[in-house]
Amino acid sequence: MRFLDHIEEWFITFLIAAATLIIFVSVAHRYAAGLAIPGVQDWLLSLNFGWTQELCIIMFVWMAKFGAAYGVRTGIHVGVDVLINRLAADTRGKFIVFGLSAGALFTGVVATLGANFVWENGMHHAVFSAFGLDFGDVPEGPTTPDLEWPTWIVYSAIPLGSSLMCFRFLQVMVSFLRTGELPHHDHGHVDGIDEEAVPVDVDPYGMNDNLHMHDLKSEMLGERRSGGDRRQSGSVVEVDRRAGERRHTDPNGGDQP
Amino acid sequence: MTALVIFGVLTVLMLTGMPISISLGLTVLTFLFTMTQVPLESVALKLFTGIEKFEIMAIPFFILAGNFLTHGGVARRMIAFATAMVGHWHGGLGLAGVVACALFAAVSGSSPATVVAIGSILLPAMVKAGFPKRFGAGVITTSGALGILIPPSIVMVMYSVATNTSVGALFMAGVVPGLVLATMLGMITWYRARKFDYPRQAKVSWRNRWRAFREAIWGLLLIFVVMGGIYTGIFTPTEAAAMSAVYAFFVAVFVYRDMRLKDVSKVLLNSANMSAMLLYIITNAVMFSFILTNENIPQHLAEWMLAKGLGQVAFLLAVNVLLLLAGNFMEPSSIVLIFAPILFPVAVVLGIDPVHFGILMTVNMEVGLCHPPVGLNLYVASGITKMGITELTIAVWPWLLTMLVFLLLVTYWPAMSLWFPRTLGMMS
Repeated sequence: MRFLDHIEEWFITFLIAAATLIIFVSVAHRYAAGLAIPGVQDWLLSLNFGWTQELCIIMFVWMAKFGAAYGVRTGIHVGVDVLINRLAADTRGKFIVFGLSAGALFTGVVATLGANFVWENGMHHAVFSAFGLDFGDVPEGPTTPDLEWPTWIVYSAIPLGSSLMCFRFLQVMVSFLRTGELPHHDHGHVDGIDEEAVPVDVDPYGMNDNLHMHDLKSEMLGERRSGGDRRQSGSVVEVDRRAGERRHTDPNGGDQP
Repeated sequence: MTALVIFGVLTVLMLTGMPISISLGLTVLTFLFTMTQVPLESVALKLFTGIEKFEIMAIPFFILAGNFLTHGGVARRMIAFATAMVGHWHGGLGLAGVVACALFAAVSGSSPATVVAIGSILLPAMVKAGFPKRFGAGVITTSGALGILIPPSIVMVMYSVATNTSVGALFMAGVVPGLVLATMLGMITWYRARKFDYPRQAKVSWRNRWRAFREAIWGLLLIFVVMGGIYTGIFTPTEAAAMSAVYAFFVAVFVYRDMRLKDVSKVLLNSANMSAMLLYIITNAVMFSFILTNENIPQHLAEWMLAKGLGQVAFLLAVNVLLLLAGNFMEPSSIVLIFAPILFPVAVVLGIDPVHFGILMTVNMEVGLCHPPVGLNLYVASGITKMGITELTIAVWPWLLTMLVFLLLVTYWPAMSLWFPRTLGMMS
């Protein structure tokens, strides 16, 4: 499991870095080839970078599919959670499980559809011919325009990525059922600020903003009250604080009086 | 009828709190399996080809560029420069906050990140200088929203993906409204600071201003790489985005030295994570709008609007209300991806300029970032100021009101958005 996590992270990191470099090199090449440097120019002109755009797209599609699976694990996918975050804990729990299983269902269906599509689009032919089997009148699949790679290999990102994502949804669901916690993503994390003595106490894992499902353990941001430093401000704060505490302590919460 | 069912299913699914991308996808699947004769293959193909557009790839690149420069060190330089320039006026640090947010927004492209980066450095300084906490929180929360209006902006790329509008023209069109909004926010800050007599900073000599400028310029050049590259035609928008990512890497690692080489892989991973989330919403939103177009829903809506005799004015008002309402529940990218394909054809029929419409949507998203129940800026600001959401909402109202006035201005005065790209000859 650890191994799979690492491969996943390593893979999407590599894809985004490589795609950036490729586009950079191709643009640099386009302008460098225009410079009249003897010898070098001929060599540069002899290189063909026409395929970079296609490769970049392919890499980003793969990154998108596997990154989306990684995103389930980091809890980055945003939803409309205003309503369910106001529900009592156990009802909310049911909605969360429903949401996660819906995710698993959708990605599962897509994985199946995708696998079917990939199989029909050339994998059938490729696999059967590789093993010397009789593939009858199954046609050889199409290839991509510039790189001339078989499209079924390129498109296999869909079934592979979606299956992984389906697995991640199930994994998150199991851990939610077991511990009542969901992975959290912190939108506002900025490096290079932590070392300062500034009042950053945005808990990277307690970030609830009504765009993510609010699990049963951590509090909503903006509900947290520390007492001490809020006393100096006016009466509105008092009302707000009480509202916050009520919401926090009363399981049937919400701000209704 | 079909339209009602589709949107009904989508709304119900979304309200259960599942990710937006999943609810879009499930709506499409439900529709496919129960209500239509559209062959499954054509939709499966969309699944593959939905994001196979080079224009879309600008999104990961811009996110990467922003993440390289979204660093406390960069924020500190921007603040130093802004304070040196405007700190001696009424509102001092508050005014500097608006300017610093505008500058930082131009390089980071993310509103919540701007609020954290500028806010967590500037707010303590403001409190120490004698400003009430609420004043500072109000300034930073709203000014941070400039991030999605001042180019390069992810939300604008989303809009161009959804409607096939030129990214370059949109970026250029964002410049003047961005400056106007920054000025308006600055003016209200100045006015309130003068009224309540808040402290001012000492005037800084021109030599020190020049020094602060030289420190900040490396980050600011990013916007020139993007805008200049697109305008002169050296790069396509996506190439400009990739170049800005490489440039940001060099500045962060070798010029500013805020980041060590070993931190780079973390930045890459975070950017990949964020971009994959957005690309996943795009994939499903593309399928969703394919279904809508297939059922001719936007066309029917347009016909209905025309039959009712709704003109530009009424339509734009309705759009504003609709988007402001949606801003209560969703974050900007999803709103643009879901609503733009529906509203855009109507806007075109009514003769509204696509670029103007895009700027209007972006400004709406900005307002949505600053008010509850869903306003990312508000939540992030609540984290750094330790203020409750209700208190923060009260703190931001003068600036939020300013933004609403600005929204009206943008809506009914297209020339403000369109003048600049037209002058540059980037649109007719």
